[in-house]
Amino acid sequence: MPNAIDIQHIGKAYDAHVAVRDLSLQVPEGSVYGLLGPNGAGKTTTIRMILDIIRPDKGTISLFGRPSTDPSVRDVVGYLPEERGLYKKMQVRRMLMFLAELKGVKAADASRRIDDWLARFSLTGGDRDWGLAKVDELSRGMQQKVQFIATLLHEPNLVILDEPFSGLDPINAQALKDAVIELRSRGKTVIFSTHVIENAERMCDAVCIIANGEKVLDGPVATVKQQHGSHNVAVSLADARPDYAAIFSDTKLVTKVDNQNRFFECELVPGADSQELLRRLVQAGASIERFELIQPSLHQIFIQRVGANNIEKGMSGHG
Amino acid sequence: MDKLFVVIKREFMERIRNKWFLIMTLLMPAIMAGMILLPAYMAIKSSGSDSVNRIIIIDASGAGLGQSILSNLKLDSAGARLGDSLAPVKPDLRVVTLAELKAAEDKALAEVTKPHSYAGYLSVTDTTLSTGRARYAGRNASSIADLSRLEGALGRSVMTVRLGNEGVKPEVIAQVSKIRADISAERISEKGKSGSAAAAIGVGFFLAFMLYMSIMLHGQNVLRGVLEEKMTRVAEVVLASVKPDILLAGKVLGVGAVGLAQQIAWFALSAMVVYFFLPFITHGMMSAKPLADTAAVAAASGAAPPTSMTALGLFTIPLAVTILGFFLTGFMFYASLFAAAGSMVNSEQEAQQAAMPVIMLLVVTIIFLNPIMMNSNGTLATTLSWLPFSSPIVMPMRMAMGGVPMTSVIGSWIVSALGCAAAIWLAARIYRVGMLMYGNKPSMGELVKWIRYAG
Repeated sequence: MPNAIDIQHIGKAYDAHVAVRDLSLQVPEGSVYGLLGPNGAGKTTTIRMILDIIRPDKGTISLFGRPSTDPSVRDVVGYLPEERGLYKKMQVRRMLMFLAELKGVKAADASRRIDDWLARFSLTGGDRDWGLAKVDELSRGMQQKVQFIATLLHEPNLVILDEPFSGLDPINAQALKDAVIELRSRGKTVIFSTHVIENAERMCDAVCIIANGEKVLDGPVATVKQQHGSHNVAVSLADARPDYAAIFSDTKLVTKVDNQNRFFECELVPGADSQELLRRLVQAGASIERFELIQPSLHQIFIQRVGANNIEKGMSGHG
Repeated sequence: MDKLFVVIKREFMERIRNKWFLIMTLLMPAIMAGMILLPAYMAIKSSGSDSVNRIIIIDASGAGLGQSILSNLKLDSAGARLGDSLAPVKPDLRVVTLAELKAAEDKALAEVTKPHSYAGYLSVTDTTLSTGRARYAGRNASSIADLSRLEGALGRSVMTVRLGNEGVKPEVIAQVSKIRADISAERISEKGKSGSAAAAIGVGFFLAFMLYMSIMLHGQNVLRGVLEEKMTRVAEVVLASVKPDILLAGKVLGVGAVGLAQQIAWFALSAMVVYFFLPFITHGMMSAKPLADTAAVAAASGAAPPTSMTALGLFTIPLAVTILGFFLTGFMFYASLFAAAGSMVNSEQEAQQAAMPVIMLLVVTIIFLNPIMMNSNGTLATTLSWLPFSSPIVMPMRMAMGGVPMTSVIGSWIVSALGCAAAIWLAARIYRVGMLMYGNKPSMGELVKWIRYAG
């Protein structure tokens, strides 16, 4: 799969403060990609560099195989900044038109799409046509919808959302999740930054965790979890028999077991295949009610890795 | 370039859609015309005031000086000037001896203090005849026009009486005293004589002031626009679509186009209003011409109505091109700096501080306008015509006033254009970094660092 974004060894420093140091990552085309990290990790700086709002001090960024500094590449990217901003005194339709035209959309096309989007977000068709209102007459929720429309109006192939869930009420947050999934189903690439890991865990195909301007880990969510799985398996059986328990005692397979008669929670030998355990239980004739690989949540991995990383930082003389 | 056009279009359309823009565009010519016409009208009004006609003349000269003053006042009274006898002339002449003077003055004082009576009293003695000194006390003692009328009448009367005493024939004296000095000054330019000097000064000042006003007004609009985009964080969305240089250029050019459109509308509407009301004003002014200070008051207030016709004639094509050229460079010079100031800060209050140095450059220029007007080809005027921050205002003014070679105008414009380019370069570098920086206003050192950032 070709990469929508290919970042090679970028870095950006402001005076004494280093925002991003030597970051490389690849976002496959058509995936939902999460950029995770604590506040001040360098997420927004990275996003701004992808968008060529600021230039990296070093390294290269290419989007769909073209350098990010190529002006034509801006037109296929949609951006929702963390700090939402609209011209307060401008009419909603005119402002959407302006932002669409800035992306090179023809006025006639833009006008039609604005109609569609406003109707879809129920900003028109009710007792009032909010498209004709000024931005500052809109409620906060409506302004967020308008901002989101502005991000997608030019039908970008790459959508970049910086902290999209911050400040959203549950209904708008759900609408945003639906929209992201729909974008993916239409083959678009979505990259979003967040510090709410649960959202990323459910939605993302792949993630990158950054802290202190450096990559802590990246890759497909499943792989990341596998790498950080502590190989724990929970098993519930319909009946208890000694030969079942013997399987759990095999030290080639299991290092530790918590035998609770019909329920076992065990830690596998590093490199051991959990499916091997399942196969042997089935061969032994066990009736299995539950067989679960207990994977750590992304949240746990995040805490574990970013926490450890920070401690390392502190010991390396930066504190 | 398409995107630049989109940004310019938004700036232009959103600003002219604003209802305040419409009100200001329509109202300003009325105010401008009022500023030109009202002082002229007031000058006529006050010169035709009958205060001087309602004074007491206490004559202790023993030589008929009071009678002569009386007839001289009648001669130049408003009624006499308008060629009719509408204004009743009722100065009260009281001939007294020197011994009675004190008592007569006390009595006159008592009468003047009563409401709706005399305006004041003038007392003359025999020493007035030799020194020309007299005393006046009245409620209109601060009116320059009234006092100048009294002084004129007194001066001529002293001359009449003394010439009579020297044996000059009364008819000769009468003829001589009717003569009024009136210099009509004409300016000389390379093309020979053209127009009146008063009109040239008026037009020059008018131009300088209009340029200053529009640069200040629209320059600050740029500042507010930039600040709005930064504070509402719209800038980040837009900057993901266009380069900061384009956003900056679009803002400056869009606001500049609005300014230019407004200027043209103001000028056309003002000219129409002045043309429409001119006949009413000139009717009064032509007959008021003997009063030199009326013309002076009117000239100081801008273009004097009697010279308005010639004033409009001064707007030649080269001058119009010069104004346009200098408005462009001048506006872009200041607008870029205002934009840079706006991009550095995060609130209106901070913006005022950051814009202060820029505003000071404009104000300094305006402070020097008066001395330049006095001597439009002096060292000060020449120096300020070659400095990029002042030349856009000073040069069109000097050109309107005449005597500036075309080569100097072109040379000064080129310097102004270079200054403008430097300001844009500087502003773009500050703007690029400033628009994404939130936090404290940068120090001078930080600013230098911003300018040095390459990307």
